[in-house]
Amino acid sequence: MTLQAEFSAALLDAERLVPSGLIAWNGSNPDKRFAVYRNNVVTSLIDALADTFPVTLELVGDEFFRAMARVFVAQTLPRSPILAEYGDALPVFVENFPPAASVPYLADVARLEMLYLTAYHAADARPLDNAAFQSALADSAALPNARMRLHPSVGLLKSPYAVFSLWAAHQGAFGIGTVDPYRAEDVLVVRPRSDVEVMPLRSGAFYFLEQLADGASFGDSVMAVGEVQPDFDLVATLSDLIGVGAVIAINF
Amino acid sequence: MTKPHAQNAISAITLAAALGAALSMTSAPVAAAEGANEHCYGVALKGKNDCKAGPGTTCAGTSKVDYQGNAWKSVPKGSCEKTASPTSPTGFGQLQEFKEKA
Amino acid sequence: MPISSSDAILSSNLAGLTRDEIGLRHHSNTTNASYPSGRLPAQAGVGLKPEHYEAVLSTRPKLGFFEIHAENYMVQGGPFHHYLTRIREHYALSIHGVGLSIGAEAGLDKAHLDRLAVLLDRYQPESFSEHLAWSTHGGNFLNDLLPLPYTRQTLDRVCEHIQQVQERLQRRMLLENPATYVEFSQSTMTETDFINAVLQRAGCGLLLDVNNVYVSCTNHNRDTHAYIDALSLSLVEEIHLAGFAEDRDDAGARLLIDAHGSPVAETVWNLYRYTLERTGPKATLIERDNDIPPFERLLEEAMRAQDCLIAATQELTYDVAG
Repeated sequence: MTLQAEFSAALLDAERLVPSGLIAWNGSNPDKRFAVYRNNVVTSLIDALADTFPVTLELVGDEFFRAMARVFVAQTLPRSPILAEYGDALPVFVENFPPAASVPYLADVARLEMLYLTAYHAADARPLDNAAFQSALADSAALPNARMRLHPSVGLLKSPYAVFSLWAAHQGAFGIGTVDPYRAEDVLVVRPRSDVEVMPLRSGAFYFLEQLADGASFGDSVMAVGEVQPDFDLVATLSDLIGVGAVIAINF
Repeated sequence: MTKPHAQNAISAITLAAALGAALSMTSAPVAAAEGANEHCYGVALKGKNDCKAGPGTTCAGTSKVDYQGNAWKSVPKGSCEKTASPTSPTGFGQLQEFKEKA
Repeated sequence: MPISSSDAILSSNLAGLTRDEIGLRHHSNTTNASYPSGRLPAQAGVGLKPEHYEAVLSTRPKLGFFEIHAENYMVQGGPFHHYLTRIREHYALSIHGVGLSIGAEAGLDKAHLDRLAVLLDRYQPESFSEHLAWSTHGGNFLNDLLPLPYTRQTLDRVCEHIQQVQERLQRRMLLENPATYVEFSQSTMTETDFINAVLQRAGCGLLLDVNNVYVSCTNHNRDTHAYIDALSLSLVEEIHLAGFAEDRDDAGARLLIDAHGSPVAETVWNLYRYTLERTGPKATLIERDNDIPPFERLLEEAMRAQDCLIAATQELTYDVAG
């Protein structure tokens, strides 16, 4: 085993002996000194997760979140030095983490927060303006085959839980006591300009957006939703998407 | 005219009407951006998260000790305790309001 | 404060440069391509934090430069790039990497090096620096700057990696001296000899972190002045100042932690002035990564560093004239 293999294995496993060859000038036990590195690695990564998942943390409290994150960190280290990408595996971990079973919606809230961070740092693009929409309308015969391009920051989440309401309650939108977490909600996350927008989706809108994101034409997307979601409100959904700035182009 | 075209011809009118109606009820995207959520909730959702940048790197160590072992004693003790239970009679006004507007 | 003798700068540099007994001769026939490096102004700068973007743009403080961590800006778009682009229009920039893992046993991460090249190309910083440390192993990123044994083997590896970095980026980089908590029985050279050898062989500059000097010297019971004096000070291009936290080792000796979560300590200010007397004025960064205070607090510390730099400039003028 190389020195760095031994060193990194001991960093993550406090039961393991510290690497051989560590010394201190006063002959003191190197364990205490090595513990500084152990602590730096684990604490900094837990802190990184706490920064990315503030609502997830608030839902279960600081103590539980940090203890849970500690288990996650020990088994899932970042694969890249870009910490904005760290944590994308946390939702799946939370889902399968028995002590969190009493909070079944926790994993989806974490998913929403990861989408938020991803949108925050996503590529920039200008939302389509009114004039461009009007000119698309002028070419109405070509509309069915046109493709709406969504903003590169768009993230979609479909949840059996009230993931938007839970998140919004923690932004101070309303009291968490009024939220029924067991009500299904779909969410759109997008950063049209400088701020990330988080928006609950109407019935069928998630499926519609999924079609558009997959590159389906406008006409096909509408028809596909109509088949599975008869109460889909196309006008209101389009108004939501245009209003929030989720569309950046209509390609004919 | 082949069948797909006929279908598309019908859709074209529907789609144009829908897009036209959507545009007429939406002001320019830029101007509408701030309004979308407020319209539904009467509360600005621009919370503390809006300036949240996520984790940053550090080239520093930490003196904040996080030594907790693997013995599991922790139970969720956060705001989840305040969420309404499935059988709770609490009204879920906000979501309801959203559904009604939809 | 002791006043430096008129030849202090010269003598300490010579001392540093002639003490590379180990590892130099062997490689002296492989001459390094020398790469251009921009120059940060010899003024005080501050680490740029998202919390302070707005304050920086609205107040435009008189600062020599800002420094960012490269990895925070390896994202596609969004507010980070928006603000950095605007701030860059008004200030010199230092890009400081924290994830390249120059001391890693494995080869450099080429994808990461490519990302760095893209970032440097975009912002054209006056300076690029990294650490004498390792932080990745087996494809995992450990998010800490981990220590190296000072051996010939490590020296060869570090030099090779720095040369790869400089070749890929087509620029000279600065290497930062580490803050460490343990030493290795395997080490065959002192840290200062090791650093001097790297600087000479790899042809890079030195980012002298004065807080790290204080932290490491305390942790390993070394003399801070002797440490500074032993370095090739003519190659210093930037200085870092930060705060440390205090702990105890198993025998009760002081164990300092390079925590960047508090103001610069008085002892470190003293060591900074001692350093400037020997290097002359050098771009100096106030680093703060934890418990970020309001921007004005960091600015106050930067102003204090600026005063030291002005004093060092006057001293230098006096020395030359006298």
